[in-house]
Amino acid sequence: MTVFGKLKKVFTGKKHRRQVPFVVLFKTFQGLLDKNNKILDSIAAMGDKLGGDYVFDKNYIVSSCQEMSDLVYKLIYDLDTIAPSKYLNLYDAFQRINHEIEEELAGRPVIAQADYVIPFETISRDSGDVVGGKIANLAEVNNILGLPAPEGFVITTTAFNAFMEYNKIWDGVKAKPLTGEAGKEVCALIAQGSLPADLKRALQKSTEQLQLTAGDEKLFLAVRSSAWGEDSIHTFAGQFKSYLNQPVEKLVVRYKEVIASAYSPSAIEYRASKGISEDEVAMAVGCQLTIDAKVSGVLYTLDPTTPEREAMVINAVWGLGAPLVSGQVPGDRYLLNRTPPHEVEGLNVRHKRSMLSPKEDGGTEEQPVPEDLQMKPCLEREEMLRLAEIGLVIERYFKKPQDIEWALDKTNQFIILQTRPLNLKTQMAKLVCNLTEAVQEYPVIFRGEGQIAQRGVGAGKVVIVRDDEDMEDFPAGAILVSKYTSPRLAKVVPRASGIVTDVGSPTGHMATIAREFRVPTIVNIGEATKILRPGQEITVDAEENVVYDGRVKELCYYEFTEEPFEESYEYRLISRVLKKIAPLNLLNPHHKDFAPEGCRTFHDITRFVHEKAVQELLDLEFHERNLGAPAKKLKLNIPLGLVVIDMGGGLEESSEGSQIEPDQVVSLPLKATLDGMMTPGMWSTEPVSVDLGSFMSSLTRTFSSSLATPKYLGQNLAMISKEYMNLSLRLGYHFNIIDAYISDKVNDNYAYFRFLGGVTDLQRRSRRAKLLAELLEAHDFRVDVRGDLVVGRIKKLNAPRMVRKMKILGHLVAFTRQLDVTMVSDAEIESSKETFDRLTAGAIPERN
Amino acid sequence: MSEDRKTQVLILDDEPIVWKRLKPALEKAGYEVEAFTQSSNAMRRVQEKEFDIVVTDLKMEGIDGMEFLSEVKSRSPRTEVIVITGFATMETAKESFQKGVFDFLAKPFKRGELLEIVKKAEAKVRQ
Repeated sequence: MTVFGKLKKVFTGKKHRRQVPFVVLFKTFQGLLDKNNKILDSIAAMGDKLGGDYVFDKNYIVSSCQEMSDLVYKLIYDLDTIAPSKYLNLYDAFQRINHEIEEELAGRPVIAQADYVIPFETISRDSGDVVGGKIANLAEVNNILGLPAPEGFVITTTAFNAFMEYNKIWDGVKAKPLTGEAGKEVCALIAQGSLPADLKRALQKSTEQLQLTAGDEKLFLAVRSSAWGEDSIHTFAGQFKSYLNQPVEKLVVRYKEVIASAYSPSAIEYRASKGISEDEVAMAVGCQLTIDAKVSGVLYTLDPTTPEREAMVINAVWGLGAPLVSGQVPGDRYLLNRTPPHEVEGLNVRHKRSMLSPKEDGGTEEQPVPEDLQMKPCLEREEMLRLAEIGLVIERYFKKPQDIEWALDKTNQFIILQTRPLNLKTQMAKLVCNLTEAVQEYPVIFRGEGQIAQRGVGAGKVVIVRDDEDMEDFPAGAILVSKYTSPRLAKVVPRASGIVTDVGSPTGHMATIAREFRVPTIVNIGEATKILRPGQEITVDAEENVVYDGRVKELCYYEFTEEPFEESYEYRLISRVLKKIAPLNLLNPHHKDFAPEGCRTFHDITRFVHEKAVQELLDLEFHERNLGAPAKKLKLNIPLGLVVIDMGGGLEESSEGSQIEPDQVVSLPLKATLDGMMTPGMWSTEPVSVDLGSFMSSLTRTFSSSLATPKYLGQNLAMISKEYMNLSLRLGYHFNIIDAYISDKVNDNYAYFRFLGGVTDLQRRSRRAKLLAELLEAHDFRVDVRGDLVVGRIKKLNAPRMVRKMKILGHLVAFTRQLDVTMVSDAEIESSKETFDRLTAGAIPERN
Repeated sequence: MSEDRKTQVLILDDEPIVWKRLKPALEKAGYEVEAFTQSSNAMRRVQEKEFDIVVTDLKMEGIDGMEFLSEVKSRSPRTEVIVITGFATMETAKESFQKGVFDFLAKPFKRGELLEIVKKAEAKVRQ
């Protein structure tokens, strides 16, 4: 039995709920709040590391996880003290999650559980772990950008894992370091292995499904590797096997051959040279319908040999592309200008004597090229243009120049077979070496006037879109300029290099689409449709919120040189452990999943524990029974449902019954805070309308929907004594804690203010955070801001001064209640500050 | 020292990610950078060449950071040493400063923070 199992047994063994003295109960609750805060801080701090600003190593990841695990465990223990034996299943949840994190840290990644076989069309952006890099890229091209790709399905990494386990091959693999010899043995084991029965069934079902699309014709498939991380910055080019035009009968054999290629000596060596661990090998296999290609080839969206020429390169052959990709034949080579209309700058047509074609009974064969085609370019000018545009759509989306394998089918449609980033870091660096000077040469049209809806940099010609007619012929790569952010513009978004609008909000539907397609977008910029001229070349820098006159190439290329931090082992590791720590799945306390069994991350557990701890303390009956000191409702002239629990001396002795008046409050900190909240004018009573976008964003965000549930809006708790107050507030849509102690002993005095959440998007919440921080600082608080989390601390002032600070906090609580909704621009910060100062000045004549 | 010669920086950290993230940032800022994962190799290098600034981790396999920076300081007192460590204690900080270290930075840190310190160290070296 595990330690946790034992613990659980000890607890469940108790027949009666423990009677806990209130002092202990309260201390425990304080400790629980403290841990809750530390855990959330730590989650935020780890999340910060993904931003790219920080330098950290594996030690940091390991020690952060250990610290977090320790805190979460103690948090559960605290809840168990408050509500003995009531939530014992939390220990199971903890153990499960903690085990997964430990496995990740020990280099045994826990592969996300998924179906063994998934059809391409259901793959989403987050499926990379399950379907591998190559198929994930291709599925995004097809499912998001809407570009044609072959139909088919993927045999997932979950299936790979099941196969390796079923055939007991892992032991041989996990012996480190893996030598070429050991690799060969692994390959042999894979070849002899058989598929688990449920994998066989899944495969059968998927091929039958695919047969329906193929109709009466016999089904032939390309069987291609799609390993973890393949086609990211590590291309693994040519490391893994692929088989073209395979009949269904051969699928299992080919599947095994493809996964075995992950253990070929060259693949092992490649991993060693790139610092990729053996534990990170997980091979998914894509099965695609054979494309009977008229022409096939490769497109580089930027010629890597001479990037300064800003050309795209197309290589093309008749028939299938394999001989070109493997380098057996050179093929035609066309150079096109990257800028529309993509002038042809070079045309190198080769003598093409043979071509590769699909064989009728499966596999491929070489065939002679008909005489009249041997010296003919494989692509017409019109086809080159179409391909160039497709290439740039993909490049803009992935934010790096791309190496794209394509085929032109018999219906003259381009099919994307594969796309991966071209690594041009070194070449690019030369192009941007004098970035600072270069940028200064371009006139600035707008700076800091709009709001960024999607980051990135894009350059192109201005197209002002006013009505539907304008949209039909929207040229690819142009900058979309429009008055409004209208959903009807959605259909041109994928073709645009950038978007600028006069009005609109970064939370609107249009912004959501811009993000979906990753098109750099600035909204609410003012008079773009008046100032910008159709056809004018501009550069939209939606990193710095600037629009330049002209095409600032250096800026565009700078994007390409950004260090691929996302590809480092440490980044991947911290992202993976964070998946088990940070996401919040328990959103609605009334949902059946709001239970220990529903906890999938440490954040879930923390959220659950906090919710339940507050609930336990609010339970009036509980207090009657346990303490003989019932919680009392405070009658206020503001809509703040506040329950007060007096631990001693916090209320007038005559306070009887379940309701109390404010003037019966003796507790110094609470009295001052209430004073501050009820100052005339501070508690804005005007209802603020919340637009749908804001509201939608709240549904997918941390600490959200539960806070919007009416029942919980009024659930506020103050625990007080004569000198002490701990106030937990949920006002509107955010979450606020104030903890303070004020006595005659100056050294013991302190106040702690903590603020998190809100219903709108992060940008507006961050503005409110900034406002709060500035206001707190103006009143001498020491302030710490992380995203939309604000913590303010002050200590060791004498009692009268502490009382004034508490009053300020009361003002802040009232004043900032719904501010995030109105924070549409940075200017709002200043004007809100002025309003606050005016109101405060009236309320507090004496500043100190 | 002539103004147009680039300031020479050596980075030593047994975790490659650390110098991989620092090297480009320093190079973009105009420094010439050599980076090492093995302290023995870094030791050989400082015996061959005098660097203006050395950035080193403390806890490493083989020759540890404290030994390495002592060697650097005794060979070339004008070289400024910046310590970066994930195991910052008062003891190690004190010991480093006694050995004449320029500054001490606890991991994880922001790239900008290190860049600032390197700039200050450069100003001192170029005095």
